[in-house]
Amino acid sequence: MNTLFLTDLLAPSVNVTVILPELIVAVAGIIVMLYDSFFPKQRMVSGAISLIGLAASGVLLATMWGGYEQGTSWGGMIAHDNLRLGFSFVFLFVSAMTILISTVWVEREDVPAGEYHALLMFATFGMMMMSAGNDLVVIFLGLETLSIATYVMAGLRRADLRSNESAMKYFILGSFASAFLLYGMALVYGATGSTGLTQIAEKVANPNFPALLLVGGAMMLIGFGFKIAMAPFHVWTPDVYEGAPTPITGFMAAGPKAAAFASFIRIFVLGFPLIAGVQASALLHQSWTSALAVLAMLTMIIGNVAAVMQSNVKRMLAYSSIAHAGYALVGFIGAGSAKTPQAREEAIAAVAFYMLTYAVTNLGAFAIVTLLAQKNDRRTEFEDYNGIGFRSPVLAFSLSLFMLSLLGLPLTAGFMGKILVFRPALEAGSTLLTIMVVVAVVNTAISAYYYLRLIVVMFFRERTTEWVEPKMPIGLAAALAIAVLGVFYFGIFSESVIQKFSHLPSANVIKAEK
Amino acid sequence: MDLINQNLLTILILLPVIGAVLTLAHQMFWKQESQLKWVTLGFTVLNFLVSLVLFSKSAAAGASGYFFEQNVPWIKAINTNYHVGVDGLSFWLVILTTFIMPIAVISTWHAVEKRATAFYVFLLLLESAMIGVFVSLDLLVFYLFFEASLVPMFFLIGIWGGENRIYAAVKFFIFTALGSLLMLVAIISLYYIHADATGVGTFDLVTLLNTMKLGQLSFTGPLANAGTLLFMAFALAFAIKVPLFPFHTWLPDAHTEAPTAGSVILAAVLLKMGTYGLMRFNFALFPDQSREWAWLFITLAIIGIIYGALVAMVQPDVKRLVAYSSVAHMGFVILGMFSFTESGMQGALFTMLSHGVTTGALFLLVGFIYERRHTRAITEFGGLANVMPTYATLFVITTMASIGLPFLNGFVGEFMIMIGMFGSHALSVTSSVNWNYVATMFAGTGVIFAAVYLLWMVQRVFFGKVTNDKNRSLADLTMREIGLMVPLLALMVYMGVFPKPFLKRSEMAIRSIQERVMGQAGGLIDHAGAPPAKEAPKAEH
Repeated sequence: MNTLFLTDLLAPSVNVTVILPELIVAVAGIIVMLYDSFFPKQRMVSGAISLIGLAASGVLLATMWGGYEQGTSWGGMIAHDNLRLGFSFVFLFVSAMTILISTVWVEREDVPAGEYHALLMFATFGMMMMSAGNDLVVIFLGLETLSIATYVMAGLRRADLRSNESAMKYFILGSFASAFLLYGMALVYGATGSTGLTQIAEKVANPNFPALLLVGGAMMLIGFGFKIAMAPFHVWTPDVYEGAPTPITGFMAAGPKAAAFASFIRIFVLGFPLIAGVQASALLHQSWTSALAVLAMLTMIIGNVAAVMQSNVKRMLAYSSIAHAGYALVGFIGAGSAKTPQAREEAIAAVAFYMLTYAVTNLGAFAIVTLLAQKNDRRTEFEDYNGIGFRSPVLAFSLSLFMLSLLGLPLTAGFMGKILVFRPALEAGSTLLTIMVVVAVVNTAISAYYYLRLIVVMFFRERTTEWVEPKMPIGLAAALAIAVLGVFYFGIFSESVIQKFSHLPSANVIKAEK
Repeated sequence: MDLINQNLLTILILLPVIGAVLTLAHQMFWKQESQLKWVTLGFTVLNFLVSLVLFSKSAAAGASGYFFEQNVPWIKAINTNYHVGVDGLSFWLVILTTFIMPIAVISTWHAVEKRATAFYVFLLLLESAMIGVFVSLDLLVFYLFFEASLVPMFFLIGIWGGENRIYAAVKFFIFTALGSLLMLVAIISLYYIHADATGVGTFDLVTLLNTMKLGQLSFTGPLANAGTLLFMAFALAFAIKVPLFPFHTWLPDAHTEAPTAGSVILAAVLLKMGTYGLMRFNFALFPDQSREWAWLFITLAIIGIIYGALVAMVQPDVKRLVAYSSVAHMGFVILGMFSFTESGMQGALFTMLSHGVTTGALFLLVGFIYERRHTRAITEFGGLANVMPTYATLFVITTMASIGLPFLNGFVGEFMIMIGMFGSHALSVTSSVNWNYVATMFAGTGVIFAAVYLLWMVQRVFFGKVTNDKNRSLADLTMREIGLMVPLLALMVYMGVFPKPFLKRSEMAIRSIQERVMGQAGGLIDHAGAPPAKEAPKAEH
C-alpha cells in the first residue's frame, strides 16, 4: 500500500457504502442550508430535516454494526471498527439532543435557525470523520470541519458580547491548538513517511524509527489536549462555555470532546502501540502513557478544585467537564496499557461508553439550565436556583438526578461509566495507574461537594424572590425525558450497550502488531 | 409459597420501591397528602410481615450456606450478578430494618408538615437500600446499595432537618462517599486479583471465598501488601460508617440535625452497615490482615468508648448526648468483633441489635419532647417526672437498657463482649504477653461512664422540682406515642431475659467467620516470633 500504482489513481478503492452514514449527515446539512435560503425562518422544518438526517444515519450505523467485516477502505483512510461505530453513535445522539434542546429558542429569541442547524450537521459530519479517519489527514480535516462550525455556533448570538467573546477566544486558541496538532502530524509524517495509521504502527515496530516521532507525538498530544480540555491546556474552557449559548455549551462539552477523544485514542492507542521486544516502541509507549497519566491526574484535580469555587452553574459545569475529561483519560490510558488486544478493545469501548453516559447526563443538565436561564442566559447563578425544588419538582428532581449521575452514584449512567473506565487502569496493574485511579476517586468525593451544592440550593434553601416556572417547549421536554430514561437505562440495563460497543475486536490496525 | 420463598429477598427490596411509586401516584392523582402516611405505613408493615417469612424453616440453605439465595446475571460484560442471600449474620439485621421502619413512620405522624410526599418516598427508598445492603453477596451490588442509601438520608436530613441541616447533610454525604469510593477501587482490584489467580474475574463474594478456600488465592506471601491495602480500603469505608474514632465527627451533626425518623433509622440501621461490612467482608476476605491489624481497631474502639462517653457527659443537648453515646456503643461492637472469640463476636452482633432498639427508642423519646417544647437543651428541663410521669418512666427504662442493666438487652451484649475480649488472643504480642486484660479493663470503665452521663442527664431532666414554667403544662404521652414505645420496650426486656433465640440464629454464621479468621495458617497474630496456635480457645458459655 506504500507504493502508489497508476491503477490506484485511475480506480481508487472507493466504497461509498462504508461512509454512507457520514454522507447522509453532510447531505442533510446541505439540504437544510439550501432550504433555508429559499424559505427562511422555518425553524421547525430545518430542525426536522436535521433530525431525520441524524436518524437515518443512526439506522445505517446500526445495520453496519456486525454486518460488515472489520477493516479499512478508501486506501486505508477510513477505518471500520467499533471505535468508529461506538463514537459515531455518541455524536449522532449528542446532535439530536442539541436540536431538541434548542427548540427553546423558538419561544424566546431570534437565532438564525437554518444556519444553526446546517452548522450543527456539518459539525456532526466532522466529528464522524474524526472517529472514522484512519489517516492523519482525514482526522485533521474532520477536526477542522468540526472546529470551524463550532466557532461560529459559539458566536451565534451576535448581539451578545459574552457570546462574541466566547467565539473569539475559542477561535484564536483553537486555531493555535490546531497548528500544534498539524505540526505534530507533519513531524510524524517526516519520521514515518506516511500519514496512514496502519503504516505508522508498522513503523513503530521498526527498532530504528527516528526520534522525530517522539516530538511529533508530543505536539499532537498538546493539540488534542486542548480539544479535550486537558490541564494545563484547559484554560479556555470556562470562558467559552460560559459565553456560548447554553445549548451550544452542552453540545461542546459532549460532542467535540468525544470526537477529539476518538481520534486521540485512534492515533495513540492504535497508532503508537507497545510492541513486544522492540525497545524503541516501549520508549514511545512509556512516554505517552506516563505523560498522560500525570496530566490526567492534574486535569481531575484542577477541574474539581476549581469547580468547587464557582458561583455560576454554567462555569461549574464547564469545570466539571474538565474533570470528566480527566476520568475519561483514565480509561484511555488503561486502553494504552492493556496487555491483550481483547482488553484494549474493552477499554476503548469503555471510553466510548463513558462519553455516551456523560453526554446523556450532561445534555440533560444543560437542557434544564437552558430552560431556567431565560432569555439571553441571564439566570445561571446558583442563587437563581434557590428553593425551586418543590415549586418545579419535575425539573428539580431531574436536575438532581443528573447531578448524582455526574457524581457517579450507583444506578445512574455515571456510575457504570466510571466503573468501566476505572477497570482497565486497574487491570494494567502498574503503580502509577493505580495511584491515578485513587486520585480519581478522591476527586469524585471532592466533586460531591459542588454537585450536591446544586441540590442543596434547590431543595434545602427557601426561595426569597418570586418564581414563575418557565414554559417548556415540547422538544426540550422530549430531550429531558430521553435524558432521564437514558440515565437509568445506562445505569441499570447497560448490558446490551456495553456488549455492542465492545463486540468485535478491531482487526485493522492490530494486525500491524503481528 | 414457593414463589415467595424463591424471591423473598427481592420482594423485600422491591416492596418499598413499589410503595414509593404508589405514594407518588397517590399524591399525583388524589392530592390527599394526609393519606400518604397510611400508604407508607401499610407498605412498611407489609414488608415487616413478609420479612417474617425469613423465620420459616421451609427453605433450606443453598450450597453456599445462604438462605433464600438468588443469583441472576446482571451485567455479563463485567461479570456482575444480582446475588442475594441471608445467613445468621444478616438475618437479624434485615428483621431489625423492617421492624424499625413502621415505628419510624408512625413517629412522624404529626411531625412532618411540609413536603410530606417526598418525605415518605425517601423513607421507603431508604428502606429498600438498607435491606439491599444486608442481603447482597456480590461486591458491586453491595456497593450499589451502600451508596444508594446515602441519597435518601441526605435529603431527609437536608430538607426536614434542624437549623444547621445543610452542613450536616453535606458532611454526612461526603464523609461516607469518600470512604466507600476507596472501597470501590478495592472491589475492582479484587476482581482483577481473582482474574490473575484463576483466569476469571468476579465480584461474587461466595466465589471469591471459595477460591480462597481452595488455596488458589491468598493474601499472604506475594500478595500480602496488596491484601493490606485492600483491607484498609474496605475498613476505612466501614469505619467511617460505624463510626469509629477518629472518623466519627459526622455522626453528632447528622444525628442532631436529622428529623426524628431519620435519627432513629440512622442509629438503628445505618450505623450497623459499617460493623456488618467489617464482619462480612473484611474478616472473610482478609483474615490474616484482620488479625494483624486487630490491635489498631481495638485501640481505636477503646478510645471511642471512653472519648464518646466523656464528650457525651458535657453535651448540653439531649440528642447530641445520645449521638455520642452511639459512638461509645459502637466502639463496644468493634471491640467484640476484633476479639475474634465466638463470645465476643456474638456479643457484638447482639449489641448491634440491642443498640438499634435502645438508641432508636431514645431518639424517639427525645423526639417526643422536642415536638412539645421545640428545644432539646438539658437546662430547659427539670422535674419533668412530675408533669409527664409516663414519659419519665419509659425514658428511665430505656436509659437503663442503654446503660446495660442486667435483664435488659444492653447488658447481654456488653457482657459477652467483655468475656470475649478477656479470653481473646487478638492482642497477644508473644506467647506470654497479652494485652487483653488491659483492653477489657479500659472498656469496662466505659460502662461506668455510660451510667454517669445517662443518669446525670436523667436526673437533670426528670427529677427535682419543675424549674421552668414552660414545662408545667406539658401533656403526657399520647396513646400513639405509648403504642410506639411498647414494642421497643417489650423487645428490650425480652432480649435481656431470653437472649438465646437471638444468639442461636447467628451462631453458625458467627462461628464460621470466627474459624475463618482464627483457623488460618499461622493461627494467632503474625507478629514476629509468635508461636502459631492451632485452635482458638472457645469462649465459655
